[in-house]
Amino acid sequence: MGGLFSRKKPVSRVTEQDKAVLKLKQTRDKLKQYQKKIMLNQEKERALAKQCLDQGRKDKALRLLKKKKFQDTLLERTDTQLDNLEQLVSDIEFAQVEIQVVNGLKGGNEALDELHKIMSLDDVEKIMGDTEDAIAYQKEIDDMLAGGVGVEQPDDDALLEELGALLGVDEDVGEKLPEVPVSEIDMPEAPSHKLEEEEEEQGNETQERRTLVAS
Amino acid sequence: MAATDFEWPWQYNFPPFFTIQPVATTKEQQLQSWRNLICDYHKTKRIWEIDTGSDLFNNSAINRHLSPAAIRLILQNLVQEGQGVMSGERCFALWNSVSQWGSLIHSWAADNGLSNTVLTLFEIQSGDETENQPFHGMDIWLLQHVISHLEKEGKAELMLGDNEDFSDAGVKFF
Repeated sequence: MGGLFSRKKPVSRVTEQDKAVLKLKQTRDKLKQYQKKIMLNQEKERALAKQCLDQGRKDKALRLLKKKKFQDTLLERTDTQLDNLEQLVSDIEFAQVEIQVVNGLKGGNEALDELHKIMSLDDVEKIMGDTEDAIAYQKEIDDMLAGGVGVEQPDDDALLEELGALLGVDEDVGEKLPEVPVSEIDMPEAPSHKLEEEEEEQGNETQERRTLVAS
Repeated sequence: MAATDFEWPWQYNFPPFFTIQPVATTKEQQLQSWRNLICDYHKTKRIWEIDTGSDLFNNSAINRHLSPAAIRLILQNLVQEGQGVMSGERCFALWNSVSQWGSLIHSWAADNGLSNTVLTLFEIQSGDETENQPFHGMDIWLLQHVISHLEKEGKAELMLGDNEDFSDAGVKFF
């Protein structure tokens, strides 16, 4: 049981509610034992009553059965008491659970509050504003850089003019070309020989088709 | 608690078994056989307290019995080897060690969602909920002893009542 320096008994994790619950459960145990006793007794008396009937002692049997009936009511009342006890026990246990839940919520709330103190709404607004400014500033820098380094940008109009000049040369060349004659000319018939062959082939095909149809 | 029919080992019907042997090696074997017999016997019959008057130490068939001195020696040896525990004049057989019993009970409590709740020792011993458990019917003193052991491991806390026989004691499991 420990050496010379044995520790003091550690802090008890048993609450007053626990002790109350224990007492309730002990009462419940006693009631259950009481019930068992009665039930055993009932069994014995029932057997005895049967015996009496066999022996023809009806009146004794009746008395025993009456006693048994009375014990039934005792059992019922004990059952009700047991129910009350169990209800109380479970209420206490549930209340303990609820306390834990509330404590948990409390702790969570406190943690959240601490976090909010670190980061207030004003702080966030300022940070968002600073970020926007920074982005705008960067854009300005980008534009400036995109503008080029000292190279003269030719005029857009001048460029268009030159383009037009280039196109104009093409048009002149087009004018010097001879006109295409528009008069009607008798076009000679195109040789139909080849066509006939083709037509013949096609004709054969159609003839075949016709012969098929005919048959 | 229905006593299951127990099958006696051959030693039980061997007369010299009931006399403590002088030769050291034989005595060692004899004591070991007695330890095994005692544990098997009590485990099968689900009896925790050793009854020195039982037929375990008294074989009327071969008309042999252990002398009181022999019984004392054997029980002392049993306790020494961790297979028994004494409380005053009472001796209990430990076919499971105290810490094994502790684990069994603690696991049962955890498996049934009973952690952080209070139970009476009575309901652990005799309640309907423990009907199929190996520790059902355990002697209350032994039960209390096992729970004290769990307490040292920080897995439970024993709640003592006013009765010296621990009949009103409880336990809170963690």
